[in-house]
Amino acid sequence: MTPPERVDCQQAASRLYEYLDGEVTPEVEATVRAHLAECAGCFSLFGFEDAYLTFLRARTQARGAPEHLKKRIFERIMLDKEHKETK
Amino acid sequence: MLLRLGAGWAIVFVPNLVNSPNPAKAREKRSVSANSAGRSADFEAEALPHLDAVYRLALRLAGDEMQAEDLTQETMLKAYRAWHQYKSGTNVRAWLLTILRHTFINQYRKAKRAGPTVDVAEIEAFTVFHNVMEVDPEGSFFNQIVDDEVLRAIDRLPEEFRETLVLSDVEQMSYAEIADITGVPVGTVKSRLFRARQALQKELYDYAVEMGYIKKADE
Repeated sequence: MTPPERVDCQQAASRLYEYLDGEVTPEVEATVRAHLAECAGCFSLFGFEDAYLTFLRARTQARGAPEHLKKRIFERIMLDKEHKETK
Repeated sequence: MLLRLGAGWAIVFVPNLVNSPNPAKAREKRSVSANSAGRSADFEAEALPHLDAVYRLALRLAGDEMQAEDLTQETMLKAYRAWHQYKSGTNVRAWLLTILRHTFINQYRKAKRAGPTVDVAEIEAFTVFHNVMEVDPEGSFFNQIVDDEVLRAIDRLPEEFRETLVLSDVEQMSYAEIADITGVPVGTVKSRLFRARQALQKELYDYAVEMGYIKKADE
């Protein structure tokens, strides 16, 4: 296997979120990973941003639709269905 | 099969249809959908479990709970009525969120709140990391910020950035799915997401400094 292409800090940083989101090709992934392995500054930056994304997920996911709304929508759909069947 | 329950519905298992399309299964589903009972059972099993996701995005778009509830109900009813157009085995959550978005744009946006928003164009290229690397390089100050404050900060983002960020970071959708739902190229999703995350990070950092969760870096 050929070693990954070398990139500088700016090129690595431009891929920051794509990399953390798992949205890069295996080639780009290997390239960024190789850079992070030898650059403490970028390694630290990526770690910080990764913590930030984890925090965002944790803070925003808990709440869903309230129970009374679920009930209302369910009943509304049932009504629609009955209406259709009587037609 | 329909189960009428006091406070909701019984849904137990939703297969992951996004990543593993199975043509044999899709055909089998379609034949079930031919009759009306099968059709609404499919809707219950496949669409209703995504109601939380629909409501979460509705709330971030509409900005208040009452409108978000109406918007959610309208979306689900439209989806139910158009259920025969939905191709079983494709991405039902993305389909629902697309309907939600269109409903919002066509009927609700006019009445939308016009609060102050962050000027995303003014966001510098990069990250508060450089402000905190001396004192808190791991970003533990974030953990002191409560849910409501994060949501309020998200609500201050301009709409197209807000919806992109919510689809990605709240609903965990891929760039391709977000591009599909919002009707823009993947490259646009990338740049919006990048700027939205940076703008939000800056807001949260400023808030954390204000609250004394972290010491401001020397200017």
